[in-house]
Amino acid sequence: MSLILQFALNGLIAGSIYALVASGFSLIYNTNKFMHFAHGISVVVSGYILFSLFSLINLNFYLSLFSAPIYASFIGFLIFRVIYLPLQKRKASNIILLIASISTLILFQNLILLFFGANVKDIGYLEIKQGIDFYGATITPMQIIIILTSLVFFIFLYIFMNKTKLGRNMRAVSNNKELASVIGINERRISDLSFFIGSFLGGVAGVLIALEQNITPNVGVFLIIKGFTGAVIGGISSVPASVLGSYILGLVENFGIAALPSGYKDAISFILLFLFLLLKPEGLVSLRRKK
Amino acid sequence: MILPYLTHILILIGIYTILIVSLNLALGYSGLLNLGHVALWGIGAYTSALLTIHGVPFIFSFIIAGIVTALFGLLLVFATRRLKGDYFALASLGFSFVVYSLLLNLTELTRGPLGVAGIPKPSLFGLIIKNSNYYLIFVAIISFASIFLINKIVKSGFGKLLEAMRDDEIGLRVLGKDTTKLKYKVMLVSGFFTGISGSLFAHYIGFIDPNTFYISELILLITIVIIGGIASIKGSIIATFIILSLSELIRFLPVPSSIVGPIRQITYVIVLLLILMFKPRGLFGRVDLE
Repeated sequence: MSLILQFALNGLIAGSIYALVASGFSLIYNTNKFMHFAHGISVVVSGYILFSLFSLINLNFYLSLFSAPIYASFIGFLIFRVIYLPLQKRKASNIILLIASISTLILFQNLILLFFGANVKDIGYLEIKQGIDFYGATITPMQIIIILTSLVFFIFLYIFMNKTKLGRNMRAVSNNKELASVIGINERRISDLSFFIGSFLGGVAGVLIALEQNITPNVGVFLIIKGFTGAVIGGISSVPASVLGSYILGLVENFGIAALPSGYKDAISFILLFLFLLLKPEGLVSLRRKK
Repeated sequence: MILPYLTHILILIGIYTILIVSLNLALGYSGLLNLGHVALWGIGAYTSALLTIHGVPFIFSFIIAGIVTALFGLLLVFATRRLKGDYFALASLGFSFVVYSLLLNLTELTRGPLGVAGIPKPSLFGLIIKNSNYYLIFVAIISFASIFLINKIVKSGFGKLLEAMRDDEIGLRVLGKDTTKLKYKVMLVSGFFTGISGSLFAHYIGFIDPNTFYISELILLITIVIIGGIASIKGSIIATFIILSLSELIRFLPVPSSIVGPIRQITYVIVLLLILMFKPRGLFGRVDLE
């Protein structure tokens, strides 16, 4: 029984990180209608900025912690303006944008490799604390923080999208671009904003994973695949569905390695991704309006 | 000093030319951006390497690698037959991930992350090709033959049908052609040549591991094929020449060897991004990527 609880907790922790990545990815996809695979950059840049500010130049911890996702959101915005926007102006197809996006992801991964090296970077702020016993399962304080932080951000995001004018404008653009521009919504500004907010959420995932484990140049590629898989499972065209799909992915991975060797953890998510793309590309929660 | 090095580059160019032209066959003549191509290449390399290590003569391993890869290619397009555009691209990328994780995890078959070392040099009719110069001749013969055949296919009535399918699939279906079947056929051909290219690569390098056939290699393939231009065999050959020579030149930069890899990758993706932005049809491309 406690073993099942442990798998569930581990799934929830992994799912929280995936869901943060997926929510930003899905937000950007819905507003702009293309796959921002380079979204993984926000995660890895944020982690390395936290490392540089706090561990290298010894800035105040909380200042480093809160500024890292902000840097990530600026990088996301710059990628939109420097790479996607010129391509969109040339009427590039979605496949071109996808290739550009994967290339950008690889570009940043290698830039980080060049500047920081391939080795694992430890933030080293938190002492390794003993896990807390939770009905026979173990969870560390940092892991509790991960679960709660992501929940808080999802609530913020929900309120923003549903209760503020800006959020409603954003949803208007994602539902119908033409109609939104007819009623005077500036589409470019909404796109900018989606990259800011989406990359910020990725950045939050970056600092959380850097604190809980450590950070390597590959973590961006790794987490965008997981976030993307989560979004596809839930349904990429809805942010809440993407979040839900990510938690499901976390749980399936962790219950899966109860039956399979632990090396299969990534294989499970890759196979899920492939199967969903083939059989149910609209995801579990299909929000396609009936006509 | 220089001559063996030149031989090495030419061998790689020969092997990659087959690989890139077969990728362009699927992409340029049927409109399928197959991001699973790198995984198919890996399947060919692993098949041939493992068979030869278990005692199968090279010439059989070589041909079986082509056939097995063609079947996997068929499986990929069969599974994804209802997907189009970026969804096909993503599903084929997913295929690459799946193959990568299986290569890592099926340790009893593939030896997992340690990779396959000590892949024997090919032997033909009792002669072992140990010397790189002979290997170059062998690779040159195979690549010329492959390109000759692919060129023949492209110029044939079948090739015209493929181009028609790429430009107007529904129109072709109205004329009563089974476009799904056409896609299967083109993937079988593309897969076969990818597989033999993988075999040539494995037996030349002598060591393969799952990372050889992952995202960074995929970026290289996409870069070359787009620089050369979609649906242009000539473009693919020239681009392979340019990019591989450039890649080998980077080795001579006065930098530590650990950063040669990242510098190469950065060069590829910057060239790719510039091409996408300023010359999306590449050097000799005849159609846009849609």
